Amino acid sequence: MLPQGHIEELRAAVGTDGLITGESQLQTYECDGLTNFRVMPGAVVLPRTAAEVQAVVRVCARHKIPFVSRGAGTGLSGGALPSAGGVVISLARMNRILEVNIADKYVVVEPGVINAHVTQRVAPQGYFYAPDPSSQSVCTIGGNVAENSGGAHCLKYGFTVTHTLALEVVLPNGEIVQLGSPTLDAPGYDLAGVFVGSEGTLGVTTKVTLRIVKRPEVVQTLLAAFDSPQAAGQTVSDIIAARMLPSALEIMDTLAIEAAEAAVHANYPMCGGLLLVELDGPGSEVDALMRQVLEICRNNGAQETRLAQSEAERMLVWKGRKAAFAAMGRISPNYIVQDGVIPRTALPRVLSEIDRMATAVGLRVANVFHAGDGNLHPLVLYDRSIDGQEEKALDLSYRILHLCVDNGGSITGEHGVGKEKQEALGYMFSEPDLDTMQLIRCAFDPANISNPDKVFPRTRLCGDKPGPYTPHPLETAGIAEIF
Amino acid sequence: MTTAAAITREECRTRLATIAGAERVVSTGETVTVAASDVEQIAEILRFANSNGIAVTPCGSGTKQSWGNAVEAGILLDLSRMNKLREHAWQDMTCTVEAGCTWTVMQAELAHHGQMVALDPLWPERATVGGMVAANDGGCLRLKYGSLRDLIIGMTVVLADGTIAKTGGKVVKNVAGYDLHKLMTGSFGTLGVISEVNFRLHPLESNTQTWTAVAPEPFQFEHALRGLLDSQLTPSSVQLRLSETECELDIKISAPAECMDEHSAKLSKICGVMELSPSDETVWQARQELHDTANAVVLKISTLPSDLCLLCSELQDWAAKKGMEIAVVAQANGLVTAALKTAPDAAIALIDHLRERLRKVGGSVVALQVPGPLRSTLDVWGCESNALPLMKEIKRRFDPNRILNPGRFVGNI
Repeated sequence: MLPQGHIEELRAAVGTDGLITGESQLQTYECDGLTNFRVMPGAVVLPRTAAEVQAVVRVCARHKIPFVSRGAGTGLSGGALPSAGGVVISLARMNRILEVNIADKYVVVEPGVINAHVTQRVAPQGYFYAPDPSSQSVCTIGGNVAENSGGAHCLKYGFTVTHTLALEVVLPNGEIVQLGSPTLDAPGYDLAGVFVGSEGTLGVTTKVTLRIVKRPEVVQTLLAAFDSPQAAGQTVSDIIAARMLPSALEIMDTLAIEAAEAAVHANYPMCGGLLLVELDGPGSEVDALMRQVLEICRNNGAQETRLAQSEAERMLVWKGRKAAFAAMGRISPNYIVQDGVIPRTALPRVLSEIDRMATAVGLRVANVFHAGDGNLHPLVLYDRSIDGQEEKALDLSYRILHLCVDNGGSITGEHGVGKEKQEALGYMFSEPDLDTMQLIRCAFDPANISNPDKVFPRTRLCGDKPGPYTPHPLETAGIAEIF
Repeated sequence: MTTAAAITREECRTRLATIAGAERVVSTGETVTVAASDVEQIAEILRFANSNGIAVTPCGSGTKQSWGNAVEAGILLDLSRMNKLREHAWQDMTCTVEAGCTWTVMQAELAHHGQMVALDPLWPERATVGGMVAANDGGCLRLKYGSLRDLIIGMTVVLADGTIAKTGGKVVKNVAGYDLHKLMTGSFGTLGVISEVNFRLHPLESNTQTWTAVAPEPFQFEHALRGLLDSQLTPSSVQLRLSETECELDIKISAPAECMDEHSAKLSKICGVMELSPSDETVWQARQELHDTANAVVLKISTLPSDLCLLCSELQDWAAKKGMEIAVVAQANGLVTAALKTAPDAAIALIDHLRERLRKVGGSVVALQVPGPLRSTLDVWGCESNALPLMKEIKRRFDPNRILNPGRFVGNI
């Protein structure tokens, strides 16, 4: 628990209506979308301005209180999990769109603005905000910045970092800095590029300048049904080899199709591997390329191809895809959403191996993935009420991550490392790699109070020597502690 | 030689010869040049330099060594022998290339499978990948494909103390750990030596067409430029070229052959009364030509796209009023290259004026190429960021002994 004096300082920073200390209310903030990790914070603050965020962070810096910023709490890796007795800075009240500049194609927003609201705001002028994580109707831009969120369309449009021009950030020492600029190539290190995706470990975002994109003239969405995900995967490789860059390439296997159908009745063809191809751009170009895609699908043995005939039909196709995670509840009492990346060409062998691994331990794995960029979302299905099955499922999900790394990939494509994959990061990167990342962390947050004990596999204090853990001199002296 | 410890040039040369071989070490004046052949040699050279306080300048072919503040390096670390495309996973659309590989050589190899790194740097026949990344160079293709940092998916870097660190990976989508490669891109060799870069690739633009419109005044392009950027056409490149007397607008589109007529018609509609004529691909060399202008001060100006025509008009007026020669290439994304031929005082006055003018839109002016003694008297970077102390702290953490290109970058980092 936080000492009363610290609580009063926080109250002075955000006012009584901006402070939560009651146990039942605090429980709301004890986890994010990764619900199997729960930690009770000491206090939650709800600032309305950057100055209030700054005041809160200064209190934390003064007393070395760990803090974590939080948007809608939809993260899937425990990034917004509080430190025990620490402070949660909820940015939900900082939810204004501050500026819309169509001529220069950017918007300036506060971090609590919901992702989909950016597009809603600029849609009348024919623009959209490209990163579209499945949670886009509720997740916030601040959280997207922390996680460098992607979505189904990043194959063509890139990630949050691609669309972030500038940030206003409260550093862990309470200073406010501007990183980047609405204009390109501001002189100096690309700190905005480093900050995006740092999972709240480098400070708190209080303002974001985002690039917006002109909506394409035409969007066409095709569903193609194959016997297996492998055949669908080969089709993806052939589309890429034909020098096309579709805006989305998604694959779902039978289990995922069944679940999505049960949840939203998207009218998907039932098959072993369903491929969704979306092309966008000038009408004549899209028509020409879609003809090629259809031919490639047929050459790979597609049983059925179905082009969405209306915007409503297209939306339904996407609704099914985006609901796929939550839909797993229809076919399994419990499930783990995993997020790994592999080189696209490794798809057939990795899918076969996941299948083999799942069978060996008597579990089912549903597969939904952004096939264009090799981002897998294996969903490990299990039943918590069966003794030992949860442990088996967790073990399988981590082994799938190792499989991704062994095949030249990554432990996360968009969900982040957070709390969940700290140890897996050590499987992917060597000690010198991690120590080098720590140089950045220590430059931003030498006191290690901004979302500490996340991302990195081993808790360290700045100044630690690489190698096995040894207590930091400050720790030994009782001046600091490992959070 | 910039050395803190008592070590002679000859001792330095001897030690470097032990690391890289005598035939790879050359002394010129106070600088010893050593050509590394692999990442371990880079690490060993840096460890030696770091423990003896010798300033090191990493170098590819040297095309951009005149950019930024001057550095008196004790060691010129030549990476041109590390020049191989190590991997081209064409089905995954990624590649791994050594820092000393020239842009043209890399692109020629990638083209065997119809792919490219979607960027058009200066002097591609000579410029190396490492140098380009360190200087964050890139041309007009950025409008369609994004900046260099968005094309880099991983990197191997050697730190001042010899630590070899990898960042990112070989997959296009990856959010594991910090993006160290974003920090390295554009850091002018002040944080580490880039030894290898992983790129994401794009299909080659196989069918392209360039059009040009001519007008006496830049503001006459205002309507066309706005219409173009607000259109659903996706041009590969758009630039304004400006001399004292004339202004031209170039537009390049890449599309399947059967769609080109339709795009051309749409383009004409957007441009209204402006007459568009097909033109040669060589117009896209214009930025490089400015950099090749003898004895010119070459500025990189960054403004908002909506400000381009006004800025170009003002530059034209300023030049006419002050009697200076000026040529400008302005990319539609707001990045402007301007070559000035004028007296040093007049150049400084213009730079000061532009920095003041651009402050309200968050723009910037970097004096990339500055001939003669002006380089040491001018603030070439003009960095006004309130994050400069943080940048200095990052430099201190990465390079506590200040051996990597000391003083080259913003705030004398």
